[in-house]
Amino acid sequence: MRKHLGWRVRIVAVLVVAAVAGLSIAAASSGKAGHAAATLKCGMGTGKAATGTPIKLGAIAVKQAGTDFTDVPNMANAYFKCVNANGGINNHPIEQIQLDDQTVPSQLAADAKQLIQTDHVVGIAGSSDIIDCAINSAYYQKEGFYVLEAGIAEQCYSSPNEAPVNMGPRYSADGATQTAIMLGAKKIAFDQSNVPGTQYNLQGSELIAKQHHIPIVPLTENAAAINGATAAEREVQAAGPGGAVVLVFTPPVALQILQGAQHLGLEKKVIWTCATPCNTDFLAKSLGSAWNQGCKPSCLYVNAEMNDEDTDNGPDSTLYKQVLKQYGQAVAGGIGSFSQFGFVIGQLAVKALLSIKSHVYTAKTVNAAFKALKGFKTDMLCKPWYFGPLPNNTDYTVYSENGKMQIVPHSGCLPIDPVDPEVAKARAYEKAHGV
Amino acid sequence: MPPWSDFQPFIPIGVALGGVYALSGVGMVVLYRATGVLNLAFGAIGAMGALIAWSMINSWHVPGGIAYVACVLFGGVLTLAYGMVFGRALAARDPLVKAAATLGLALLLLGVMDLLWPAQVTRSLQLPSDNSGFTVGAASVDWTQVIALGFAVAVTVGTAVFLRVTKIGTAMRALADDREITATLGVPVRRVEAAAWFGSGLLAGAAGLLLADLDTLASDALTFLVIFTVSAALIARLRSLTVTFVAAIVIGVVDNLATPINSITNFRDMTPFVLAIVALLFFARGRQYSFARGGIR
Repeated sequence: MRKHLGWRVRIVAVLVVAAVAGLSIAAASSGKAGHAAATLKCGMGTGKAATGTPIKLGAIAVKQAGTDFTDVPNMANAYFKCVNANGGINNHPIEQIQLDDQTVPSQLAADAKQLIQTDHVVGIAGSSDIIDCAINSAYYQKEGFYVLEAGIAEQCYSSPNEAPVNMGPRYSADGATQTAIMLGAKKIAFDQSNVPGTQYNLQGSELIAKQHHIPIVPLTENAAAINGATAAEREVQAAGPGGAVVLVFTPPVALQILQGAQHLGLEKKVIWTCATPCNTDFLAKSLGSAWNQGCKPSCLYVNAEMNDEDTDNGPDSTLYKQVLKQYGQAVAGGIGSFSQFGFVIGQLAVKALLSIKSHVYTAKTVNAAFKALKGFKTDMLCKPWYFGPLPNNTDYTVYSENGKMQIVPHSGCLPIDPVDPEVAKARAYEKAHGV
Repeated sequence: MPPWSDFQPFIPIGVALGGVYALSGVGMVVLYRATGVLNLAFGAIGAMGALIAWSMINSWHVPGGIAYVACVLFGGVLTLAYGMVFGRALAARDPLVKAAATLGLALLLLGVMDLLWPAQVTRSLQLPSDNSGFTVGAASVDWTQVIALGFAVAVTVGTAVFLRVTKIGTAMRALADDREITATLGVPVRRVEAAAWFGSGLLAGAAGLLLADLDTLASDALTFLVIFTVSAALIARLRSLTVTFVAAIVIGVVDNLATPINSITNFRDMTPFVLAIVALLFFARGRQYSFARGGIR
């Protein structure tokens, strides 16, 4: 009898676990957006589904605990779905093959080979990986692939075969540092994760600060074990009175630090600036109004590599939000910089594919079309985009107000200082080629 | 060496975090004493509770108070369920096996959390007590920090009194001394163990909630904050609640006071390991140390 009772108790326990798991799943999934009924016009805009042989495009994105950039390829794919529902590319649907990476160099090298040699993709569009450019740039070059991506590593901005739609952490941090200096910072504390390669992010800001005779204090944090309040206090002490803090972190870590500063009442002690990952409405909503009190218009400024989606209702921004709603179920982060990058990459890839007059979609024709991209205008970027190492070198500055990120009034576009050598090279290239 | 004023702001941060580590440590020690299980899933259970609370507030628009209670209860129910399903099956196994089994639970929960609450989404859980506070010298203190410390003190004292004066508490202490003899004396071992699992789980939920506010609402970070708790519990040799409390506070404060010292600031994550190793070496002088039940003899 005791034995039977024991099993009953265990069954009850299993049911409790199942119920709890169900509760968790329901709780986690209930916030996701449903399908919108409207039919959108993307690409050829025929309104008829493409039925031909698919055009395979590959993408690699980092997906590991604490760092997940799959919103970039997922949003590019959302746009491809919209294009496929509108006649595809001359009746050929785009098929995205997406591989995830856990920052393992050997796996990443194998992923690139799998995409090109096994899956026979004809182009790579939508990648966003911490080490992909460092590991695979030479391979892409050898295979004649011209990559459309959201870049991170140094090599994304120096290889002739890579063209990022974003600035990446270094140049966005440059913008944040420029903003801090424009606001009168006497000293800058520059804080970022202590992962390999981050010294590269600091170098541009050091040059900009040196040009203005402003001392800059480099700090690093172990982002996996960071405590927001501790990091914020350390940054404020390093910046000193009248100083500024520049944050270069992923959105969760940046939010952790800013909320830590809020806990300790440090909002007004220094000027706070942040690279592009802080440009999310959720961050603005989480911070609340404390950052708008006592500073005009804000105590926190964010360099934004793309436009502000709350105030911009231009055609591309509108389509981005519609595509995200109708096809972006896999885009976990919703509206934000990462999905903006993915959307623009999707648009660029489709523009390139539609430009192929022969309607023959091989690796050779597709990559030639990618490479030839130039003069791409969108209301999501400050300047027309072209295929090159640093085409996005002029961006926006936003601040948080009423739970939303908004462009700083009358701030216009912020050209990143050409004292940073790659920016100077990009400007020289633009002048020489008229792009 | 930075001036004293540079250290002051880090003291309340360290004391508050130490308070939450103490809260977890007490739960961990009580469970170990009653069941012989070192629950390495403590952080993951709290993390999942906090994420459920976050979803309840942000997706279901449930009032914060109810969501916070759900977070704490989730910790209790899940821990109790684990104890009922696996506790008996593993009761006769070596403590190392029992601990490894909870590590399995932690990894399972980590995977589930990564699936249900993807890392791309930025989340935060702020308690109403964050919005006000006071200053002591150069340090700002908010009410959440005060609550963290006060709750830890209350739980430590309350648990010590509970173990000493209540019938079930006495049974737990008896179980800690000798499970077989206690069972022979007619103590309802399963019921006592269930109480320990449930109580410990409630503390995991409460700690998860406080850490989600004081630290971060990220599944991986909260899961691995268990390291600080384990260190405090080990310094107390998984026996003394008072030593667990003091050790947890010391770990929190030392970890934070190392922050303004540039030469060691990047190594301060080693604080729990270093303090635990030093303490274990000190206590183990002339003693035999083993992983078997009873630990150091």
